[in-house]
Amino acid sequence: MGVRTLSDALTLPATASLASAYASIRARRVLVLLVLAAVLVASLLYDIANGPAGLPVKQIIAGLFDPAALDDGQRVILWDIRLPYALMAVLVGAALGLAGAEMQTALGNPLASPMTLGVTAAATLGAALVVVFDQKIAAAGIGGNYAVTLGAFIFAAACSLLVQALARAFGGSSGAIVLFGIALSFAINALVSVVEFVAEAGSLQQIVFWSMGSLARADWNKLAIIGVVVAICLPWSLRSAWAMTALCAGEEQARALGIPVERLRLVTLLRASLLAAVAVAFVGAIGFIGLVAPHLARLALGEDHRFYLPGAALAGAVVLSLSSIASKSVVPGLVLPVGIVTALVGVPLFIGLILVQRRSL
Amino acid sequence: MSWGLEVKGLGAGYRRRAVLGDVSLATINPGSVVALVGANASGKSTLLRTLAGQLPAMAGKAELDGIDLLGLDASTRKRMIGYMPQSLPSGGSLYAWEAVMAASRATRPELSQAETEAQLELVFKRLGLAALAVRKLSELSGGQRQMVGLAQLVVRQPRLMLLDEPTSALDPRWQLEVFDVVRALTHETGAIALLAIHDLNLALRFCDHVVVLAGGRVIADGSPHEAMNAQVLSDAYGIEGRVEQCSNGSTIVLVDRALSRTNPGDLST
Repeated sequence: MGVRTLSDALTLPATASLASAYASIRARRVLVLLVLAAVLVASLLYDIANGPAGLPVKQIIAGLFDPAALDDGQRVILWDIRLPYALMAVLVGAALGLAGAEMQTALGNPLASPMTLGVTAAATLGAALVVVFDQKIAAAGIGGNYAVTLGAFIFAAACSLLVQALARAFGGSSGAIVLFGIALSFAINALVSVVEFVAEAGSLQQIVFWSMGSLARADWNKLAIIGVVVAICLPWSLRSAWAMTALCAGEEQARALGIPVERLRLVTLLRASLLAAVAVAFVGAIGFIGLVAPHLARLALGEDHRFYLPGAALAGAVVLSLSSIASKSVVPGLVLPVGIVTALVGVPLFIGLILVQRRSL
Repeated sequence: MSWGLEVKGLGAGYRRRAVLGDVSLATINPGSVVALVGANASGKSTLLRTLAGQLPAMAGKAELDGIDLLGLDASTRKRMIGYMPQSLPSGGSLYAWEAVMAASRATRPELSQAETEAQLELVFKRLGLAALAVRKLSELSGGQRQMVGLAQLVVRQPRLMLLDEPTSALDPRWQLEVFDVVRALTHETGAIALLAIHDLNLALRFCDHVVVLAGGRVIADGSPHEAMNAQVLSDAYGIEGRVEQCSNGSTIVLVDRALSRTNPGDLST
């Protein structure tokens, strides 16, 4: 155990400050956040530059600050195609990373994520139903161009509420909530299969494409919505950073500190559900970001939530932005749905993280 | 207004199962260290949790310096009462410094960053934990994590400290350290400490007051010398033992044998 006793501490002259020893850890974390932000900017620029029509980075930067510096074709490529696409990767990645981090803290379970809690599967079901009942919904004038997004969001949000309601009804522990989510995912996936089974060929193609997750649906209106949600949720979650950090030291410890754990958990899960539902509603089922990004952030930044939460958002943004680049680069001339790339990259990355964390414990 | 802790007719339990019945304590003066002793499931933890506001009281009253503890709002309770549960702080990637910092920031947000760090500095050094401050909880032993739990409580500087088996994971030297610190803090600040504890000799030696619980009721309450005798040992624990005076004047308990089990130590109570 430690080397000093109470009497030592009272009689010894002041030694090296513990606060300054911790300050070096804090400084390292700030540096990690800055590096992540720099990698994100570099990735974003490369993602914008990457495509069939060549757009040098220098020209992109000039065009971002002064669109008139570009000719009409370049302006359309940059502002209407590449930039929304690349920014959507950043914002969706940030939303899913933050959502996953909040879910994992709230439930004290490193397996919690929008995917394992059934939110992603529910969004797919909502989207699939809208695709199948397309004409009736259009006739009723619901949702307009956003009908599929709206359907996905409603089902994703409903799934989050249902998981929590079930867990509360059965006196659910955090482990029970994850189990409910996993069970619900299986049930919802079965329902998606039923919808796909009865869907016509055209609708089936749309559903399958949606369920692969694609950034090609990006536009400025969607970006504005998801940007506002992330801009509200990140500072909101940071307001509870100390309570969530305390929760990491144990549920009973947090209660002993007077932290209202049930309310904290409910608010955190609702906020995470909103982030996840908005994200998957716009781009389709993108898995693993919400699972992998919090683990990356925890490994690099620890569990002090002042750093962990923005770190998870940045890590999610970086991973999805890099996946976006990979989706355009793997097969020349073809843009793969980014959900396929995140699944292919996410699984080995997740296994690698587990191995690294095991070694460090 | 009366100073100190008053508990009268307190009843509490879990759902419909009453664990504590009509618990009343003699007035506990400011600056006192009180041992709660008794067999497993005798109601020690339930009493601490009820006073901490973790469990609702079913009956009775509890006042600290004339303030009703059972009707406190959450923010006043956070400031007045510090509770250290039996479970140890965990959290794989959390540094000990962060765990204690979080305890302070979550309960005393009015302090500035510098003030909080100065408090932490003092607490870590005072508890002899300086070497652990920038180590992760996952790297610490059970005893070390128990000391971090104590630091989480001490840093809050509560008027009433409720500690549930705070020495259960500690070796004898660190058990003494805990009592040393708790006694120093209560005597310096006038705070009151209630400790649920199984080691009767520690309780008798280092506490000003001993409360013996059996089956959710108080069966003895007073100074160590008054509260503990052979009959109390039999009633509370179902053991035959002696309470004797040591050559240095301290009171010690010698356990001779277990009596046939009737109900005092019955784990199902």
